[in-house]
Amino acid sequence: MSTSVFYRQFERHANGEGINAHSTTYCPGCGHGLVQKFLAEAIDELGVQDRTVLVSPVGCSVFSYYYFDVGNTQAAHGRAPAVAIGHKTANPDSIVICYQGDGDLASIGLAEIVSTAQLGIPVTVIFVNNAIYGMTGGQMAPTTLIGQRTTTTPKGRTTLAGQPLKMAELISGLDGPVFVERVALFDNRRRTHAKRSIKKALELQVAGTGFSFVEVLSECPVHLGLEPEAAEEWVSDNMVPIFPLGVKKDATEGIAFPVIPTATFDPATTLSAVGATTERPPRFAEDFPAHIDPEDISFKLAGSGGDGAQTAAMILTRSAINEGFDSTHIPSYGPESRGGTSYADVHVALKEVMSPAAPRPHVLVAFNTPSLAKFGPTVRPGGMVIYDSSVINGRVEGLADRVRTVAVPFTGVASELGAALVKNVVALGALQGATNVFPTETFLTAIRATLKQKCAMIPINEEAFKMGSKLASEQVG
Amino acid sequence: MTSVAERPKPFVLPEYCKGCGRCISSCTKACITMGTEINPVTGLVPIVLDLSRCNGCGLCFEACPEPYGLRPQGEEAAFELVDPSTVLGPRPYAAPQPEPWPDTSVPLPEREPLIVKGTYAAAVGAVLAGCRHVFGYPITPSTEGAELMAKVLPELSGVFVQAVSEVATVNMMYGAGGAGKRCMTFTSSPGFSLMLEGISYMIGAEIPAVFVNVMRGGPGLGNIGPEQADIKLVCRGLGHGNTHAIVLAPATPQEMLDIAMLSFELAFKYRNPVVIVGDGYLGQMTGKVRLPRQMTEPGIPEWAVFGDRSHRGNLMCSLDLSEVGLEQHNVRLNEKYAQMTAEEQRADLYRCDDAEILIVACNTPAQLAKGAIKELQDKGLKVGLFRPITLWPFPIEALLTVLDRVERLVIVEASSGQLEDELRLALSHAEVHAPPPMSHVRRMGGILPSQDEIVEHVLGLEEVR
Repeated sequence: MSTSVFYRQFERHANGEGINAHSTTYCPGCGHGLVQKFLAEAIDELGVQDRTVLVSPVGCSVFSYYYFDVGNTQAAHGRAPAVAIGHKTANPDSIVICYQGDGDLASIGLAEIVSTAQLGIPVTVIFVNNAIYGMTGGQMAPTTLIGQRTTTTPKGRTTLAGQPLKMAELISGLDGPVFVERVALFDNRRRTHAKRSIKKALELQVAGTGFSFVEVLSECPVHLGLEPEAAEEWVSDNMVPIFPLGVKKDATEGIAFPVIPTATFDPATTLSAVGATTERPPRFAEDFPAHIDPEDISFKLAGSGGDGAQTAAMILTRSAINEGFDSTHIPSYGPESRGGTSYADVHVALKEVMSPAAPRPHVLVAFNTPSLAKFGPTVRPGGMVIYDSSVINGRVEGLADRVRTVAVPFTGVASELGAALVKNVVALGALQGATNVFPTETFLTAIRATLKQKCAMIPINEEAFKMGSKLASEQVG
Repeated sequence: MTSVAERPKPFVLPEYCKGCGRCISSCTKACITMGTEINPVTGLVPIVLDLSRCNGCGLCFEACPEPYGLRPQGEEAAFELVDPSTVLGPRPYAAPQPEPWPDTSVPLPEREPLIVKGTYAAAVGAVLAGCRHVFGYPITPSTEGAELMAKVLPELSGVFVQAVSEVATVNMMYGAGGAGKRCMTFTSSPGFSLMLEGISYMIGAEIPAVFVNVMRGGPGLGNIGPEQADIKLVCRGLGHGNTHAIVLAPATPQEMLDIAMLSFELAFKYRNPVVIVGDGYLGQMTGKVRLPRQMTEPGIPEWAVFGDRSHRGNLMCSLDLSEVGLEQHNVRLNEKYAQMTAEEQRADLYRCDDAEILIVACNTPAQLAKGAIKELQDKGLKVGLFRPITLWPFPIEALLTVLDRVERLVIVEASSGQLEDELRLALSHAEVHAPPPMSHVRRMGGILPSQDEIVEHVLGLEEVR
């Protein structure tokens, strides 16, 4: 009857001047005023005014923030339930209420209401269904009845425009909600019950139980073209048969939505969560491998998906950074990367990598013939091509001046070890043996770190690396 | 005195009665009738009460849709049309002034550099900036950000919500950001398009948040290769209305972290969204990333709708029916944009001191240009790189400091000229009407300009030949 949840003066309504300070924007006889009164009383009776955030929709109730003395957010059309998730997760202690009309909730905002209801997060949705678009001037709503005339169904809605959408039934069919009821406002008994239902829905949120939804059949006398009393009868006679009143779902016993956590900012926990460590990896290299290039060495590792070129490139990058140099690795993009091929560009720089791409690599590691044919000629003069001699036969052609070739049977060695998967580590070993970019221990340390979660795989990978390294260094001499 | 007599009977101030008559049928004693006289203040016909038969049942209160319509007797004194503030009396709940709840800077111990991908680095930066609320919808090539946050945030008792769409995502950010929390999302071009409506609302309601848009090939579904064809969108098209946001374009994994941290500061400084644009190449690039020596534990700003007593008086809203009021709001927003333009321009000038040919590029193309510049300098050419870090505001002031010596501008970008348009617009606003001749290296469709293409283009310039 009397509640302090409404502002004493509606200062946001036309600056609170004159009668606007105490009257709503709703037309005479509109059901919104009743629903909002019941909602305000429920907030008051539950003592949650300070914690409440009311999300206003787009539609006739867009100005709910004129009236409710609570935290207020005005949402985009249909998005109130998504906004509510934002508020509830920002402050799990807040009581978040979406107040939505039929256009907002049942038309443009269907995805948001269904997904939020299914999530089951403890927010309360009050859905006011008056079977028509009010604010835009009496157009068809998703809940408009068959035969009902609106400005966009001038001869009455036919099934060509679809059947009225029964939201309470739809929402109650989901797993998330704990309480769904449809109520009405057309007589004393229904009003008393509507008030009780709204309070229950809110109570369930206060208790942290879950998502609650109350659909209220409401009157829009102006757009129905009826006097308020006749509009009440219209709802009773025409809407109720299509939208039956009653509890559609009540699964409140013994249920509680999981506790939404409150964030921690402990520095150690934060650093650990992002994978930071104080462990300084050991260094084995005496200097930057200037025998390859004085300041910036580029590698290309090329094969098909599954060859493990990316992992090998990653280990190379990690090795370089562990030695205190700068390094980058990028999986190659561009038209040549289609069709299951997998190319990686790696840079190792004394100070800073400038361009991460390797259009003219110092070293190419090729896992198959197409990769060698494509990138072999891009290797710069004096560079090196290391390839899998198990799968690449014949002469290597089109190489630049002074490019050395090193043939190592990546696949064959891996097969002998009984693990075809480690051929990329054989290749990495060959890269080390052929170029001596970093000492063997640098790579083995990086391999161990990469396989931290799969310790059993470390010995075979070390073996693969060493064999690749040996075979390559023998050729280079 | 009986209990019945204690129940209050109704009264109504005619000015607050809209004459809907819903109370009439609610009364079982027929105390209420429709009036016959038009109220001169409202132009409506209020009801008339005859309480001789009234038993104070109270049903009429529940039938009256107006908050200050039918009221229990005894509250008459509380209503005076002339000056309500003098007679309303003390409120049971008075929304207090928000209490300060400031951010705190937390020192961090020294840690080894991380070896991570660009997208991961941005996520780490966000976490260190105090972001514990991430909302997102998976879209290649930005999914690693969401995946990482889904893994890391639970360890920090934070929240990651996978939304039903990008539309829902941006509205979750509207709610969480409106509640004063530091929130973000990772997305890619088509997803970012869907978020534009919400971004316009956020700018209108002055809600901070950080968007990472890993740009991909377009238009439409396009492909997942790297492109920079959202520059127009982020600089000129952030939804409807007079909108702008600071747009940052990192070029390395390290910068992804640094810029993610900076973005939250800027978003809250200006109460405005901040957009980080990357390309798929940068997102996928693994590199060395040094960690800062401090992180932020954010407070709750005074303006937030946090859902507590202290912030009860606040409102997040972009609606203003008064044209004058909305124009004033726009003027104020534009003053913010002007302040951003004056204070937030950022650029990286690489070998610009004696540059005669100046390459303009951002994101990964800028790194590729650095590689090209090294090659060109080895050939004795004076080539430099002007790399806008803020695409909006365009860092024109830094450009003007080197422009005098420049004989040629070469704009390198993975779009049809969107960065060049920003450059030309900035030059025009700066009254530079005769800039050096411009040429460009452009690729589209998910392909970045290559180092070779840049080198070839520069070697082919008439200034060089």
